[in-house]
Amino acid sequence: MSSTADKLVDDYLKRLNRELRGLPRARRRELLDEISEHISEGRASLAGESEADIRTLLDRLGDPEDIAAEAAERFGLAPRRAGWKEVAALVLLPIGGVLLPVLGWFIGVVLLWISDAWSTRDKLVGTLLLPGGLLLPLALGVFATGANGCEAPVGGDCPPDTTGAGDFMATALFVVLLLVPIVTTVYLARRVGRTPAVTS
Amino acid sequence: MRRGTLQYCVLALLAKEERYGFDLVRALAEMNGMVTSEGTIYPLLSRLRRDGLVESTWQESSTGPPRRYYRLTEAGKAALAGFRLEWRSFRDAVDHFVERTES
Repeated sequence: MSSTADKLVDDYLKRLNRELRGLPRARRRELLDEISEHISEGRASLAGESEADIRTLLDRLGDPEDIAAEAAERFGLAPRRAGWKEVAALVLLPIGGVLLPVLGWFIGVVLLWISDAWSTRDKLVGTLLLPGGLLLPLALGVFATGANGCEAPVGGDCPPDTTGAGDFMATALFVVLLLVPIVTTVYLARRVGRTPAVTS
Repeated sequence: MRRGTLQYCVLALLAKEERYGFDLVRALAEMNGMVTSEGTIYPLLSRLRRDGLVESTWQESSTGPPRRYYRLTEAGKAALAGFRLEWRSFRDAVDHFVERTES
């Protein structure tokens, strides 16, 4: 029965860890430690350790979501919604560099970092994937078709040149470079407000 | 109102003796209607510690691993004393109206 108990406790703490994601790291660590200690104390005070006992212990602690909501309130944290900064960053990061070469993307990065709607990890993802946004893949695409002397879009009807395998690799790389900024933008859009911002 | 007063109940419990988390949480939960889920006390404790109203120390336990004990700081004692005065006059004022209407 002990392994079932361990699994229940483990699942509970994992859920709690997930729900507390928005808190500053030190607060999150502290709460997880204390609630793990609480569970250990509770388990130590049980005569046997039936699954029902463990479930009761965890039920009394309450839903991880409630604990996280309470923590957000106690620490003066409020969920953020997208404002003009977030919307502008989401537009400028992928296509800012194309509209206004390099500088447009750079403004997007600045907005990304001054916004408090994203965690540092999200901001790093947004900055590194991919510097310049769609500028690099589009520039490469223009350069490649220009070099081939071919007007057709990539994947179109360009006559194959001497190195077929190299061409395939180049196209694959191009598609990846094109997709990365798009995927990153979708990811960032979904992450807005997942990290509560400090309001007090 | 319950939410705003809960922190003073925690301070009052710690005024008598220092307690470890589990013990403190169970004592609060046993009071009917104070706490619906025990886990929500921990964010409050963390907040009180950050505000300097309580402090915690590790102490050996005879039955298991060391426990984190909480006790009131001087600032915590002052906050509790201030709340006691406020609470008494508030309670009397409410009693004045509520109890009279009932009878």
